[in-house]
Amino acid sequence: MIRVLLADDEAMIRSALAALLRLEPDIEVIAECADGEQAVTEALRLHPDVCLLDLEMPGLDGVQVAEKLNRAIATRCVVVTRHARPGVLRRALASGVAGFLPKSRGADEVAAVIRRVAAGARYVDPEIAADALSDERSPLTDRELDVLRAGRRGETTGQIARALSLAPGTVRNHISVVLGKLSVETRQQAVLMAEERGWI
Amino acid sequence: MSSIPPSSVAEPALGARQLARGITATWWYTVTAVLFIELMLVVAWAGIAAAEDVSGGVVLFVGIGGVVWCASTLMLLVHYRRRVDSGPEAMWRSLAVPFLVAAAYGLTAGALVSSWQLAAMPIVQFFVLLSWPRGVRVRVVLAATLILAALAVVDSAAGLNGGLPWWIPVVYGALLPGMSVSSLWWWDVLVTLDRARASEAKLAATQERLRVATDVHDLQGHHLQVVALQLELAERLLPIDADAGMEQLRAARVSVDEARQGTRDLATRFRSVPLGDELANARDLLVAAGLEVEAAIDADADAAPASALGPVIRETTTNVLRHGAGRRARLLLTRTADSWRYEIGNDTVPGAELEHDGSGLDGVRRRIEEAHGTLEVRREADEFVVVVTVPAETEEGR
Repeated sequence: MIRVLLADDEAMIRSALAALLRLEPDIEVIAECADGEQAVTEALRLHPDVCLLDLEMPGLDGVQVAEKLNRAIATRCVVVTRHARPGVLRRALASGVAGFLPKSRGADEVAAVIRRVAAGARYVDPEIAADALSDERSPLTDRELDVLRAGRRGETTGQIARALSLAPGTVRNHISVVLGKLSVETRQQAVLMAEERGWI
Repeated sequence: MSSIPPSSVAEPALGARQLARGITATWWYTVTAVLFIELMLVVAWAGIAAAEDVSGGVVLFVGIGGVVWCASTLMLLVHYRRRVDSGPEAMWRSLAVPFLVAAAYGLTAGALVSSWQLAAMPIVQFFVLLSWPRGVRVRVVLAATLILAALAVVDSAAGLNGGLPWWIPVVYGALLPGMSVSSLWWWDVLVTLDRARASEAKLAATQERLRVATDVHDLQGHHLQVVALQLELAERLLPIDADAGMEQLRAARVSVDEARQGTRDLATRFRSVPLGDELANARDLLVAAGLEVEAAIDADADAAPASALGPVIRETTTNVLRHGAGRRARLLLTRTADSWRYEIGNDTVPGAELEHDGSGLDGVRRRIEEAHGTLEVRREADEFVVVVTVPAETEEGR
């Protein structure tokens, strides 16, 4: 039997999927969680073989849950999403997610992916991979992205400079180059744009 | 979505780059204009000093100090261009050097030549070149001009007579604020124009998105209505004829799938990136998946036939992500005399079953053959390689 943990903040979808998966002879749903924090707690307690995590959850999202679990226990994580935002597949793969598929797949397909992943394979849905390949490339350098990242919560230039061990003037130069490249007027707009496109 | 030739995608980026270059050129033009006026004044004052003072030391100070002062105003101009996003304390720190240079040069040179106007001019110019809010700047310029003109009158009353036409620096000195600011104003107009262009492009994208939203709304509305009808029919049929009821339920599922696919097609209809970006994304994904990636992508990748190679790249990258044993991968796109060669290889687990030969690669093979190319699949002991060769597009073929 493959022991599966389910996490989705939408109760209807979660219970329907759990009911459908329970119909599979070799799959046992051992926990249903309503958010990321609960999923982490339950997974650490129950040690499931496979965790099926919704990407869009309040608090911790599916990829963050997978990242935490992969560091702590031997479990395989599959992330499902309604809409894969740019950059999210890259982030998921980097945090060791074993499977990634859209929510629109039927329960039989989900069950097949759970089996593959439990057997040690990786599964990336072709649709999601195609989307990820047509992501817009970031025109910014790594350093410029660092500056945006360090200032994404509205930190001052001085705080960014300290965080990155740079001179404040260098930080200001980076920011003005970023504003030019993205043709936006404020750092906040640049941060929003970079977050929207999955660059940071 | 991949049938759009890459050139049509690359064009706007190229245009933007040219525009950015144009803006930089204009910036240097503005800087040169301001510095030229300042240097002219320095030369004129050095001339006056030469007429006033025979020793030459004063001339040397007015001349060389003047050049240093001009250089320090260059810092001000750079600051003017990058006036974004700096807190007041950082701003004053970066302005301290130009201010001190201006004050030191002005006061010393003014005292040596005994001209009030020369003493005041560098400091006044410092305030003129700051980035004042709209409206304030007009007042600053008027005040600066009045001060310099008034000091010119004081100077002439005190009898500053260098023998030279001394009114030259005086008149030009009084004109300095106005001339500098008009250069800066011209620069501001250009920046505003550039921003307007950027927001115009954004507006077009937003309008397009709005149109897609309407299409999605129509499409989903239609499908929801169909699904509702099919479910209602199933509800009625199930007690009488279970098979017919189940048939309607299955039909409803198909309708939902169609709606989903249609929505996705609408959303991705305009998504298209240059081939080079697609390959760079592929490399990033493979690296993120923990593979050691050896990539060599021709710098001209965007010129390769995207309609033939795009689907191959998508299919093969997904395959490597999905099936590869996950240690090494190789991604190559090279240009030979008359063709493009794409190669992707990854290590496989020895003895593991090969799942590569699915229908996916068959579809890709058809596309490649339509483009008069070849697709070769090589399975070696511990490696799986796909090599695709397609003829390069000729200019008239585009």
